[in-house]
Amino acid sequence: MTEARPEHPVIAASHRRPLSSRVGSRRVRRRLIIATYAGWLVFAGCVKFLSYGPLPSIWLGLILVGGNLIVQAAWVTRRTIISTPALVDAELDERLIQSRNAAFRTAFKIFGLAALIGWLLAMVAMQVQPNNQGLLNSLILFMGVAMLATTLPTAIVAWREPDPAEPELSAG
Amino acid sequence: MSPSIQNRIGVLRAERGLSRQQLADAVGINYQTVGYLERGDYNPSLELAFRIAEYFGLPLEAVFSRQPFAPMSSQLYGKEESA
Repeated sequence: MTEARPEHPVIAASHRRPLSSRVGSRRVRRRLIIATYAGWLVFAGCVKFLSYGPLPSIWLGLILVGGNLIVQAAWVTRRTIISTPALVDAELDERLIQSRNAAFRTAFKIFGLAALIGWLLAMVAMQVQPNNQGLLNSLILFMGVAMLATTLPTAIVAWREPDPAEPELSAG
Repeated sequence: MSPSIQNRIGVLRAERGLSRQQLADAVGINYQTVGYLERGDYNPSLELAFRIAEYFGLPLEAVFSRQPFAPMSSQLYGKEESA
């Protein structure tokens, strides 16, 4: 069944706060997605730039992990109808379940391709630069693919979800 | 993209003075889904279509149609004139 059932044991175990139906316009959401991924590329570029300074490699790795955690906190931990990939079926209706499943299918295809390209580039980086720079480039690629793996389904739902329903003129 | 199914959910909801949230709660769907149904952005499953029709106490074909609905006024008064 696709009905929302607050007494469902899975929800009862994981329920923190009600699911929000408030979503921004599609245009704003799409800009946010582009800003997120573009921002991450800029962030990775900054880490790469820092690697030419005196900062130890371990710190660069921690900065990368921290950046990924921030992106994931923004995209994965929210409880709105956009965050359907992280929610259980009992919290969703049939439209949201369809939307989530379609997003997972698309994300899987994109992620598979990104993982393959990332792996090949990481191998090349390790061969061409057999030192800390090669390792760092591989780590950046790994973090990028890891970030895609966790945020892509939610980003796809956000990209596809239509504009929200117009405000009601007459109160019920 | 499948062809859009026409529906009278918005009209029926307004007629009964229901908010989207009330209808959503009654048929077990999300508030936004009601809006998308009304706008034709989403075609419901047969099960959901039946649930909505049952909630309004109408036959399925009175709420959903594959063809655009004629305005209520022309349906009501058009028939009376021809009768």
